[in-house]
Amino acid sequence: MEAPGGASPLSPALVGRLRQEHEKVVTSCQEKIQHWKKVESDYDALQERLRTLPDKLSYDIMVPFGPLAFMPGKLVHTNEVTVLLGDNWFSKCSAKQAVALVEHRKKHVRKALDDLQKVMKNFESRVEFTEDLQKMSDAAGEFVDIREEIEDDSIETKGKYRTAHKPHSKPKVSNVFEVDFPANGSDTKSMGRFQSEEELWARLEELERQEEILGELDRMPDTVETNGEDTTSSEEEKEEKRTDLNGTYRTEDCITQGSFHREVTNSDLFGGQVNGSTYYHSDDEDDIDVGDSSVPTIFFSHTVEPKRVRINTGKNTTLKFSEKKEEAKRKRKNSNGNGHATPELPNIKTPADIYRVFVDVVNGEYVPRKSILKSRSRENSVCSDTSENSAAEFDDRRGVQRSISCDEATQSDNSEGILEEEEEEGQQQLPKKHPPSSGTTEAFSGTVIEKEPLSPSLIPHPVIAHPVLPTILERKSEEVLSEASEETTKRISKFKAARMQQTN
Amino acid sequence: MSGRPPRQEEGESAKLRHKEELSRRIKEQKVVVDELSNLKKNRKVYRQQPNSNIFFLVDRTETLSQCKNTLDELKKAHQEMENSEKTKIKK
Repeated sequence: MEAPGGASPLSPALVGRLRQEHEKVVTSCQEKIQHWKKVESDYDALQERLRTLPDKLSYDIMVPFGPLAFMPGKLVHTNEVTVLLGDNWFSKCSAKQAVALVEHRKKHVRKALDDLQKVMKNFESRVEFTEDLQKMSDAAGEFVDIREEIEDDSIETKGKYRTAHKPHSKPKVSNVFEVDFPANGSDTKSMGRFQSEEELWARLEELERQEEILGELDRMPDTVETNGEDTTSSEEEKEEKRTDLNGTYRTEDCITQGSFHREVTNSDLFGGQVNGSTYYHSDDEDDIDVGDSSVPTIFFSHTVEPKRVRINTGKNTTLKFSEKKEEAKRKRKNSNGNGHATPELPNIKTPADIYRVFVDVVNGEYVPRKSILKSRSRENSVCSDTSENSAAEFDDRRGVQRSISCDEATQSDNSEGILEEEEEEGQQQLPKKHPPSSGTTEAFSGTVIEKEPLSPSLIPHPVIAHPVLPTILERKSEEVLSEASEETTKRISKFKAARMQQTN
Repeated sequence: MSGRPPRQEEGESAKLRHKEELSRRIKEQKVVVDELSNLKKNRKVYRQQPNSNIFFLVDRTETLSQCKNTLDELKKAHQEMENSEKTKIKK
């Protein structure tokens, strides 16, 4: 208002003028209100008349002839009214309808009245304020302006808060996850609400571990059975059983929902076996850790080339990358499974090593290799990995890859490998169905990781509920042919993929 | 303080207007009642539909009683107004 010391911007004349204007508005409002009240009362009377008009069949009235002349008459058709709609348009309606119309118009009138009342009150208060203002300007001594300057810091807090969200890192993360959740929502219900990134990451890691364990689990039950059947000399048989077991296992997992819990528990039980060197339950913790370490994709990239060379030189010259990988996985699995019976060389640190060991140690004859290759070649002849047969292999791969990654499961029995080859050919159909449902992750993840950076856009796409989808995409990138990619799902944990995306 | 008096005056003027209106209507009503009460019994009484030029035939006695009622109400209102003014003056 008026500063005591400074020249007051409000001169009494101006304030008086302001007050006058306000009062004008108030009076005009009052007049309008009066007008509207009259209109309302007119409508009331009309409504009342219309309401009672149809009560009688006819009314005796004085009919106006001009403003001053009347003659007696009768009002008939008491239930017929013509209503002026506006612009000289009339509509014929019954008295009741006319009443409704009147009611509608009264509503409008009431609204106008309310508005006017509000305006009037508003301006009345303004008038009061201006009066106070006038008083203050008249007797400036009585009133003092209390002013406190606000420092900008307190206000800037808002700006700081906003800056807290840094555009690059965090928003990205959130976006990625949002994309992933809808796709994999069914699998990870708990994922939906992560408040902080840390929690999210922790959860992701946990899930990854679980996935790894799962893969191990799949292999483990197989290995157990295979051990019992090791006496049988065919690898294929083993593989079949494995796949069957895996299938049942997976289905169960699906039923249980999430499959992760189950996997976790199982992983604990079988963890020892995963390492290969020791399949005791006591080693569970170590095994889990190993599993984490085993996953690293680096091995895979390394292994690819050596496999090729080996294969080409040895017996199978026509193996494709994927096939080679699968074979390597199988061998690894076999080696692991056999590991129980005969703990083998710790020398194997990479898939390539496993391959060598397998060939040399197990069967000097190379018989297992051939059989594997043949089966693979037959199955995958159309498309290397994506073929239906591959699905069964995928399961094996998962287990194998994990074991391989661990490096500890280097034990390899040739006999098992052989069995697998033979049986796989016969019973590849079953595994196909299972893989998609199973929550197990496959060893393929390594390759996927490498390719992900190339095609980051692929990851978000997977609309399917399977957690494995990201892996599928990777595969596609690798192999355009992938028809059975769906089946092969779960190569890499989605979590990992998401993380990788973010990092990239 | 400068602001108050005019507003009060306004309010008073409005009140005055209202009061005048009231007294006028009272007079009017008195006349109506007198006229109705002095009418012969066979006379017809018509009442104008407000806001229009049509006159509806009504019952004489009924109208007379109605008019008396309204006159009483108006008188009451007038009395209240005067009472309030008196109390104000006393204060």
